Amino acid sequence: MKRRGAVPRVLLAALASPGGTCYRHCNRPIRTRRVPSRLPGALFVRACPSGVVSVSVYFEWTRRDPSRSLQSALERWTTPRSLVRWRDLRLATRHGPELGRTAERFLASAHPGRGVRAVYWRVYPFRARDGTERRLFVCLRRSHPHPVFFAASPQATKWECPTCSRRQARRTLRSSG
Amino acid sequence: MLAPWCPHCVPLSVRHGRRLATRLRVPLRLLNIDRRREEKLADRMVRLHGDASPDYLIPQVFLEWSDGRVDHLLTGFSEQVTRTDQAWRDLFGSDWLRSMRGEGRS
Repeated sequence: MKRRGAVPRVLLAALASPGGTCYRHCNRPIRTRRVPSRLPGALFVRACPSGVVSVSVYFEWTRRDPSRSLQSALERWTTPRSLVRWRDLRLATRHGPELGRTAERFLASAHPGRGVRAVYWRVYPFRARDGTERRLFVCLRRSHPHPVFFAASPQATKWECPTCSRRQARRTLRSSG
Repeated sequence: MLAPWCPHCVPLSVRHGRRLATRLRVPLRLLNIDRRREEKLADRMVRLHGDASPDYLIPQVFLEWSDGRVDHLLTGFSEQVTRTDQAWRDLFGSDWLRSMRGEGRS
């Protein structure tokens, strides 16, 4: 049985937003990846090949505003958690008529009047205390049960996410012990 | 509601909004959130009928009926401008618009 709030494939296809380039960073094509989470809806991260996040978007087929539950999840996955600010979460409702005829007819027959809720999380580039620029990165290695978000310098050629660094440190300790 | 610096709003949504208003035979009202008086009204519309967040998304498009009802029609797609454009195009090709025009004729 599908979880309450899950978004059917026909709607996810209509909501998809392929293409785009990395804004004010590398200008390379952005990839949209669906990431695993325990949230009832579907979470997508739009990031460039270096891992710089353009925007993350969460879809849930519900009447309620899912921003708070997304915020709690993002706080668990982000280092430091203070990067997740309430004002950076923005709600949108996607109705049938703007999603193409297939999705419009599906919504009209399934739940007239109930659109898909989208919550966007966009962190604009900011300056660290030492004055250097920071951007939001994501690590989507398969070994992680969820995305790992963190801030790093956009000029960095090599970065390591906090979870990967901790694992590496543990491995090093074990092998040296 | 819109802001002049937002590429999803100007010229894209202004152009599509004009076209939609013509098709529905209703006047178009633009609320610029950079003008204080219009911002207050826009904030109220978004809070009561739209997609409200502390720093809410623009553009947001509403249809106001003569009996006071307000329908939220569209909010800009934060992913990219071309996606907002696609949403407008889908709206013009929708069953909803066709039924609205039919209603207007009868």
